[in-house]
Amino acid sequence: MRKQVPLLLTFFAGIIPIIALFVPEKHVNTVSTTLDSWLIIVAGFALLLGVVNVIQMNTNKIRRKSSGWPYAIVLLAGLAIMGFFGFAGAFNAFGGIATRPDGSSTPFDWLYQNAFLPLQGTMFALLAFFMASASYRAFRARNVEATILLIAALIVMFGRIPFGEMVTKWWPLTTEWIMSKPNMAAQRGIMIGAGLGAASMALRVIVGIERSYLGLGKGE
Amino acid sequence: MNLERIMQVDRRIIYLFVAAGTILPIIFVIGLPVSITPPTQMAFDRIENLKQGDVVIVSFDYGPSSAPENAPMADAFLRHCFSKRIRVIVIALYPLGGLSEAVNELNKVVAEFPDLKYGVDYVNLGYKDGAQAAMRKMNENIHEVFPTDVQGTPISRIPMMKNVKTYADVKLCVSLATGIIGEWWANLVNAQFGLPVIVGPTAVSAPKYYAYLEAKQMAGLLGGLKGASEYERLVVDKYPGLAKVYATPGLYTATKGMDVQSIVHLIMIAFIVLGNVVYFTGRRKPRKAA
Repeated sequence: MRKQVPLLLTFFAGIIPIIALFVPEKHVNTVSTTLDSWLIIVAGFALLLGVVNVIQMNTNKIRRKSSGWPYAIVLLAGLAIMGFFGFAGAFNAFGGIATRPDGSSTPFDWLYQNAFLPLQGTMFALLAFFMASASYRAFRARNVEATILLIAALIVMFGRIPFGEMVTKWWPLTTEWIMSKPNMAAQRGIMIGAGLGAASMALRVIVGIERSYLGLGKGE
Repeated sequence: MNLERIMQVDRRIIYLFVAAGTILPIIFVIGLPVSITPPTQMAFDRIENLKQGDVVIVSFDYGPSSAPENAPMADAFLRHCFSKRIRVIVIALYPLGGLSEAVNELNKVVAEFPDLKYGVDYVNLGYKDGAQAAMRKMNENIHEVFPTDVQGTPISRIPMMKNVKTYADVKLCVSLATGIIGEWWANLVNAQFGLPVIVGPTAVSAPKYYAYLEAKQMAGLLGGLKGASEYERLVVDKYPGLAKVYATPGLYTATKGMDVQSIVHLIMIAFIVLGNVVYFTGRRKPRKAA
């Protein structure tokens, strides 16, 4: 039962949307859209699972005094404070989670504006520094492939800024051609490959060949 | 000059150049010219061809990490729609701050158009988890996916939502996206339900969207900050009244951001070229016998 029921559920949850796409029949569509509604709810529970996982991981880290354990306290405190105001705000306590009608910040919005936003912004902004340093050290024309990549990158980088057009009006046009033709062709190849891979993996899950997601032990 | 020393330059020197290239154009605004690329022009024309009263979904699918790129796009789209009196449904599908970004940008732009009425000209339906599932379900019934707006008002009591039930009642969707949600609008909502989609992704993910654009699965594309600055120029050229808004001191715009990005690009290009010159010079130089 522990194995068969999840396999059956997975089979039906996987096969119904596929049938609904190809069979424009009312009852099939009703079942499929009902599954979509359930999926929204299940996705909410997935978030909850994530929260539980973060709490477990970080409380263990603090208990064992593993390396960097004080950061785990900061993380859990952030989770608790933002979680509290977010959860309470969802029930319209403290004025909700967005701004109040008079434009003033609710506690959740205040925390977002003054903690989350600058922290995330800082993390992302640091990339510019690392990318500049890494490209100086690693972006070398060592062979033919790397040279082609380097030339294309320099043309696109220069063409995406106004200086490219100042040199010649052909520069942005060349940039756009690289993006919309060779780049597009390569992207399509990657997407088709990834799509086929995802489809075959989905089929393996639907028909029960791939079972690692069940988390069963060996021999079960 | 010792090539080894140039090759092993302290990374802090590179950081210093990047920091100077970032800070100086913010203090001394250069105002570099902006040229328009076809994908941005397509996006602008698509909205320009909509009629007064048409309904557009603007989906905030990004968080604060990419806000400097995505927020100016959102502002420009909202200003364009409101200038044309196109009705806007704002939603957020990105969990890490999508809702707060939507609230911030909507509040900012709505304040510039005092004659707009909430619930009549625009509405904020808030955040919904399970992006792909929500997108699919919205084709059946938007009201079931978003039973209330962000303030908790039942959707049935919002006047502009009375006749907007499914994608069939919407003319276009604009997704300001970081990550994969923008792709889902193109390969799921457009491909399966036929809703025209414009995506404004970050520059780093813009290349993959060209595949959708060339396949006509997207009606336009704003590639990162450059795309946002192009859209700002198009909007200001068409609606000169907005020039005053974009000239507001202290207001962050993509056009101002492009000054910084242009200088930092130049610095990076210079370092890459220097690195390669040093590399090739070092390879050609005969090694001294030990």
